[in-house]
Amino acid sequence: MNRRRFLQGLLGTAAGAAWGLPERPVAAQSAAAGQAGRRIQFVFAQVRYRGGDWDPRPRATTPMMQELMRRTSVEAERERRVVGLTDPELFSYPFLYMAGKYDFQPFSEAEVGNLRRFLSFGGFLLADNTLGQLGYGFDRRFRAEMKRVFPEQEIRKVPLTHALLRSYYLIRRIGGRVATSSYLEGIHLGETTPVVYCHNDLGGAWERDGLGRWSHPCVPNGEEQRRDAFHLGVNIILYSMTGNYKQDLIHVPFIRRRLTQ
Amino acid sequence: MAGMSDIVLGGGVPWWLTAVLALAAAGFLVHQFRFLNRSLGLGRTSLLTLLRGLVYALLLLFLLGPARTVEDPTSLRRPLVVLLDSSESMKLPSDAGDATRLDAAKETLAASGLTSGLAGSYDLKFYAYDRETAPFEPDALAEVSAAGGASRLFHALGQVSENEPDAAGVVVVSDGIVNPPDALDGFTGHPRPVMAIGVGETDGFRDLRITGLSTPEMAFRGRATAIEFTIQAFGMAGIQVPLYFNLGRNLISTHPITIDRDAYENRVTLNYTPRELGTHGFTLTLPEQADESIARNNRKAFRMEVRRDKLRVLTLSGSPSWNYRFLRFALKQDPFLELVSFVFLRTPSDVVDVRENEMSLIPFPIDEIFIEELKNFDVLILDDFSHRTYFNPLYFENIRDFVRDGGGIAMLGGARAFDRGGYHQTALSTVLPVKLDGRGAFRTGVAARPGLTPAGRAHPLTRVFADPEANEEAWSTLPPLTTLNEVAQADGEVLLSAEVRGRHMPLLTVRRYHDGRSLAFASDDLWRWNFDAVGRNQNPQLHLKLIRNSVRWLAREPAFNQVQILAVGGSRQPGEKHEFRIRVLRDDHTPAKDPVLQVVATGPEGEQSPLEASPTDQPGEYRAEFTPRVEGSHRIVARAAAAGQPLGSAAHNFLVALPSEENDDGRPRPELLQTVAARSQGLFVPAASLTDAHWSEFERLMEQAAPSRIVARSRVALWNEPLLFVLAVLLLGAEWWLRRTWGLV
Repeated sequence: MNRRRFLQGLLGTAAGAAWGLPERPVAAQSAAAGQAGRRIQFVFAQVRYRGGDWDPRPRATTPMMQELMRRTSVEAERERRVVGLTDPELFSYPFLYMAGKYDFQPFSEAEVGNLRRFLSFGGFLLADNTLGQLGYGFDRRFRAEMKRVFPEQEIRKVPLTHALLRSYYLIRRIGGRVATSSYLEGIHLGETTPVVYCHNDLGGAWERDGLGRWSHPCVPNGEEQRRDAFHLGVNIILYSMTGNYKQDLIHVPFIRRRLTQ
Repeated sequence: MAGMSDIVLGGGVPWWLTAVLALAAAGFLVHQFRFLNRSLGLGRTSLLTLLRGLVYALLLLFLLGPARTVEDPTSLRRPLVVLLDSSESMKLPSDAGDATRLDAAKETLAASGLTSGLAGSYDLKFYAYDRETAPFEPDALAEVSAAGGASRLFHALGQVSENEPDAAGVVVVSDGIVNPPDALDGFTGHPRPVMAIGVGETDGFRDLRITGLSTPEMAFRGRATAIEFTIQAFGMAGIQVPLYFNLGRNLISTHPITIDRDAYENRVTLNYTPRELGTHGFTLTLPEQADESIARNNRKAFRMEVRRDKLRVLTLSGSPSWNYRFLRFALKQDPFLELVSFVFLRTPSDVVDVRENEMSLIPFPIDEIFIEELKNFDVLILDDFSHRTYFNPLYFENIRDFVRDGGGIAMLGGARAFDRGGYHQTALSTVLPVKLDGRGAFRTGVAARPGLTPAGRAHPLTRVFADPEANEEAWSTLPPLTTLNEVAQADGEVLLSAEVRGRHMPLLTVRRYHDGRSLAFASDDLWRWNFDAVGRNQNPQLHLKLIRNSVRWLAREPAFNQVQILAVGGSRQPGEKHEFRIRVLRDDHTPAKDPVLQVVATGPEGEQSPLEASPTDQPGEYRAEFTPRVEGSHRIVARAAAAGQPLGSAAHNFLVALPSEENDDGRPRPELLQTVAARSQGLFVPAASLTDAHWSEFERLMEQAAPSRIVARSRVALWNEPLLFVLAVLLLGAEWWLRRTWGLV
């Protein structure tokens, strides 16, 4: 364990003390994960696109992956992978994260076709509006491009009963750096929702700086809102890996009982 | 002697012409009288005019052509048809005594006024009818037996109408049972009167019967299905009888039936939930009662094919993974599969930062699954699942027994599977198609290239394309897998191998374990074969077919059986040859050469008959024959083995039953005979009440419908008698002579 990792773990423990995150030093976890036979099941792949700002939260991935591994059985790659929509390895990463603040160049026809196949046959896309503003910039362009990918589909509100909001935590609030929307949006294809769009800058809530401190404050609800953002991140990733698992009949009565408690 | 009414005019001359000629003749006579009266006295004039008038009258008579009708009455001797019911139901007791209905019918015919009275006036034509209608000589009456399998009364009536078109009437002697029972609906009447004589007493008839059976030909395992039928009872009021419901020889349930009235009839519905797949023979039985007329109809047998509604698949995944994601995707899209899955979203060491009611996690019902519910699934898939935290050895034993008894298990690779999952030296390791020694590593970051083995080329799991070359190419172009579980040695059939740096290791291995099957896939990277194909603009069908074929093979879908019974017909009758074919495949699903094939037929009482199977011209196909001798549920079981190892078995159940049209409902039907007689202007008489008066009445009815006495009429012409010509000549000659004598010529 080098000095930097030690400090990261120490500061992380301190920062998380207010709401229980993280309880285990990151360095210790890293050592455990580095044991022989560790199988990386999840890779956080971020889409690189032309124009605008494709990478507004460059340090958001690792904290989220650490929390994912601390809280769930998923073994994840700590560092993100960056892919273009026409890269050959795109279909090696079924989970895509696409963040942005500003308007960007429209996708090429090849990118539109590839993304359509990716999302139609099992891939998943989490879009994150890090500007936290609706109606222009990233928001306007993303909606337009999704219309090109799925001309017949609309981006619709994700209902509170959706499996995504129950895939691990019973999500009642949509966290993020800001609280622009109290709901998620998504594109629904049959019984699946391969595109989820968050307006609250999830990456901004997840991101730490080089010293392990939170890069951005969460407003207006502070650390509770950050915790919600991590919970939502866990749920979104587990939903992408398990689909509507939590809507299987065997889960329904348990979840209903807990929601009414 | 003919009266005036018997004289007819047939001269052919119109009446008006005759009238004109008569008037002309009268005019001539008046003229002649006046003319002669000038020279002769009144007397002579009148005489001559009279003579001429008579001549004219004779001429007019010739013109009118009078004739006399002569009648000659005669009586015809016509056929009278006697139809005697010779169907099986006539074997039943006529009344409380020992005499059968046929005995009663013969006695009635022999002793009645038919043979002694009507035989004098009619030609008796005897016919026996059952399924067919055949004539017999009167002196062969005693030889008629009740052996026909059906009573086709209306067919018989139609046939005798053709054979005896002049028949005066038909005498039917029967118990009134006809087949089919609704045949009366289309009968509007016979053209000649029918005298129906009913034999058999309804009052003394005792019978307990199951009828109106309604069952689906197909039912789904685990889903209740309704079996409906009617219980009828005659002459048995006040008793209680048990109803036995059997699957083959095994009693499923017993139901008490209370007969609370005579002519009892009650519709019964049994709900049955089948558990065993295949075609099964079932029976419903009411025990035979004392003095019961028909015991055979106390039992009803039927067949039902039990199919899976859906294959039930249970998956246990050690953690969320893309393998699970795409496995679920493949299984959920198949409408014939029902998926129950558990994914371990967290481990005991994972952090929980919220209250329990803020999480959706449910407790893993491990006891319920591995002690109680496992038997209700067809296939268990352990997907990178670690037993270490959760299992006790009992669960492994239960899984082994589950597979031994016909279940299917698949172990998919990963860090928690095979040796790294610590499965060696567990009861489960004896079931798996790979050998575990505790040293097999789970390797990541490899490039394991899949390849079809010789067994994989023929096996239905990996034969996803019919064309062998296309199949080979499809597997060879798959992307390499990045992980691999090293397994020590294949203990089953290796269908796919993985090549890593020139070394081939088992990748997909299958095995039969007693009645069940097991499968091992030594990687957790299977999902890449799906999503990579999508990325290459290809259909991910190979991955989907492999998953779905695997589940079906593990669930022992008949299409994947190595021993199959083919071309088995439907219900048969005792004594009829039953031919079927047996296909035998090796473990790699190529035709088995010279297997040890045992075929055994088991009868309803458990009696077994080994059958000989001979090869056909198709490789791996054998023919066997079986001739059942008794009614009931039979079962054919074929077992095959090769090189000392069993290849599997197949079973087929089928029913053998006689057609039960006649003896099913033996209750006499006087009301039917009454209707037949009424619609044919005849009469119905119970045999016991038959008297000579009835025969007289029947004769009257026959005479009324078509009299037997006929009259021949002939016409004798009166005008062309020679005497009339002579008379006319004499009259003219006398006139001429008087005229000459009196000086007028």
